[in-house]
Amino acid sequence: MKCEDFSKLLEDYLDGEVETAEQELFARYDRELEVPPFLWTRVAAHTVAENDSPKVKGWAAIITRPLASVVAALLLAIAVGIVYLVSRQPEPNKAVADSEKPAPRQPKNKEPEKPEFVAAQPKPKPRVKRATNHVAPDQSDVWSSDLAYLDIDEQETARHIEQTQNLLRSIRNVPTTDSDEEIDVTYDKQLSRRLLNENVVLRRDAEMKAKFPTKTLLTDLEPFLIDIANLPDHARPEDVRAIKERVQKTEIVAALLDYQDRGTLNR
Amino acid sequence: MSALAGTLMNSPADLVTRVCQGDADAFRLIFERYSRPVISFIFDMVNDRALAEELTQETFVRAFRAIHTMRAGTKLSTWLFGIARNVARESLRARVRANSHVDLAHKSVMDLSDNKPEPVDGLLSKELNDVIRRSLAALDEDKRLVFTLKVLHQCSYEEIAMITGFSLAKLKTDLHRARAEMRKRISAYAGVGYEV
Repeated sequence: MKCEDFSKLLEDYLDGEVETAEQELFARYDRELEVPPFLWTRVAAHTVAENDSPKVKGWAAIITRPLASVVAALLLAIAVGIVYLVSRQPEPNKAVADSEKPAPRQPKNKEPEKPEFVAAQPKPKPRVKRATNHVAPDQSDVWSSDLAYLDIDEQETARHIEQTQNLLRSIRNVPTTDSDEEIDVTYDKQLSRRLLNENVVLRRDAEMKAKFPTKTLLTDLEPFLIDIANLPDHARPEDVRAIKERVQKTEIVAALLDYQDRGTLNR
Repeated sequence: MSALAGTLMNSPADLVTRVCQGDADAFRLIFERYSRPVISFIFDMVNDRALAEELTQETFVRAFRAIHTMRAGTKLSTWLFGIARNVARESLRARVRANSHVDLAHKSVMDLSDNKPEPVDGLLSKELNDVIRRSLAALDEDKRLVFTLKVLHQCSYEEIAMITGFSLAKLKTDLHRARAEMRKRISAYAGVGYEV
């Protein structure tokens, strides 16, 4: 005989554990309870009577429920797609805006060389493409970056990052020559000072709210903003070139784009 | 042959299929077949006649609305007891919240007795019913549930496990303790004076 058989027998024995006298008592237990006739009327009023055409409804329930969920899923997917497309639309405009910006930053007393400027225009696009594949600043110490990224749609931070990105792009696109002619960076300098103040506030705020990816990114931005803010109004080409090279080398613009992309996806 | 066909036509599985197809008569048959055990079970759980009726109604209404979700192979009685158990449980939870105090006119106070059996034979069974009812009510919810299903409704362990969602080990432990407590309370009527 197997253990299972013994187990069954043991259970049967334990089930009979209640003494005969007790069993009789429980068997005699009468709740003096009858199902009142009106109960079915009440139940029927809430069930079968509700269905005017029960057969159609019965089948309809079986067929329409999965159908409804499929339709709902489709509608949801379409809505998400539309939101995604709408959120992606401003990108090309930004590129156009960026390409228009470098104009005031031509070397002093020098007419902009048209072919060079035109050649500089298409540059941002390939860089933008490369940027999306770039890995953001190291966030290996972040517990849950996704949670923090959810806050990207905080308008202030998003706007700040966008403006900083534009500033860095414009610096990156400044044409620098080997000549000693100074470059007018008055506008960028003022913008950088304002962005620097804003950056400090937002970085602290991000740190307080434990938004580590945001905090890391803002920390990385700060040296660039400080350097640009400390440039003289008419900067020497080598100073601008140094910043420009750092912007390109560290691929900070790509990191900003990547951050924005994540924010858009999480929105 | 026709009797067999009739039996098969009214098997629980067939009744469920027919209800899903919108057959109101089939649901009435289910009600007639299961309303008594369901109302008894709910009464054992809530110890209140009017409430038991109300909750039985709720049980069958919920059953009707969810019957198309019933998995194939599930025993109808087990499924109904499961719904009844949930309905009773929700009601008990609500009652615990509502009854923060008991006044002297409350039914539970009016029903209090000195637990002595009345000498008149005719009243003995009534007294016993009251004792069992009160003893059941004194058990904690899980034990009452398991004891009611096993001893008063003769459900198998597997069925109880399906209805309650408890593990086999838990329900056996609860059942053992419930039996011990019930034995203590009704021992005077059983004429057994053993210690548990």
